[in-house]
Amino acid sequence: MSETEQKQGKDGGYTATGPEGYYVYCISERGPALEIFTTGSPPSAMEENTNLEVIAEGELASIVSRVPLSVFGEEYLDAHLSDAPWVTVRAMRHEQVVEHFARKTSVVPLRFGTIYLDKTGIKQMLADKEAQLHVILERVKGHEEWGVNVYCDRTVLLENITNLSPRLREMAATAKSALPGQSYLLQKKIEALRADESKLEIERTAKRIEERLSNLSDGVSRLRVLKVETTEHGELRSKFAFLVSKAKFEDFRDAAEELAREIESAGIRIELTGPWPAYNFASA
Amino acid sequence: MGTDIETLEESELSLLETLDHVLNRGLVIAGEITISVADVDLIFVGLNVLVSSVEKANEALRSREPTKR
Repeated sequence: MSETEQKQGKDGGYTATGPEGYYVYCISERGPALEIFTTGSPPSAMEENTNLEVIAEGELASIVSRVPLSVFGEEYLDAHLSDAPWVTVRAMRHEQVVEHFARKTSVVPLRFGTIYLDKTGIKQMLADKEAQLHVILERVKGHEEWGVNVYCDRTVLLENITNLSPRLREMAATAKSALPGQSYLLQKKIEALRADESKLEIERTAKRIEERLSNLSDGVSRLRVLKVETTEHGELRSKFAFLVSKAKFEDFRDAAEELAREIESAGIRIELTGPWPAYNFASA
Repeated sequence: MGTDIETLEESELSLLETLDHVLNRGLVIAGEITISVADVDLIFVGLNVLVSSVEKANEALRSREPTKR
């Protein structure tokens, strides 16, 4: 563990008192990491007036910066995690560091909050996990992650569901040619089924989106929607992450736009977000 | 993903996306300090809180200085 150090920024800002640890942002190949690090200006590190550093072992390198254990140590960090502004600012800095490298080389993004007490631990980790990390780096090389969010305007969908749902279309056709009494009952049944059929239609559409866009990508992950949020785009109903080859992005995007046109009348909307470093494709 | 301030202010949804990636995804490596970040649940980061977070994040970006070696 490092000893007490005094550090003065240019404006006398940050003073490290007490032991420090290393915060790890991401891992990449050594050569590219060093090149990116030494050319151009790296973004801010997690804590102000500290610098990013590269810690290498074998052919791999981790991008790190020092953090005070009085803030990031085990007993203290969990408390800070419930401080939303604190977390938000540091998550933003984490993302900017990862993006800085991911723009130019294959990167394994780490989740927020990976901290080592010293360099030895990090080098050990790089050595131990070398094989897994290489697999991930190969997988994401030349790729970006694109998020696909699927929103639904409930009102529009409910209005159009009798046309969209095969089951309801059939019932409506039967109702047309039925006797008045039967027709009336069928209409009632159709009304009662609108909500359920709408749910089915959303699910059918999500599957369609997944299949169509999977054909144009090298990985897909369906993400948990924590709760159905209502936004100005409608309700968020499903989320996907796709691993898309940079060379194939145009095709991917065209397919997404085509899909968007097809499902518009159902009140269902697709939103593309990205490009992201491959956070959702970083497991071994 | 834009890192300029306009892109940030454009959409709180975009900020939520960043948080979702950084806090919930990415490779989990057991560092030497064990934390329960896995339980960070974005449900509780209400939009009100986010608005002030966005402002703080903007401040952080604006005060960003080129690091010196």
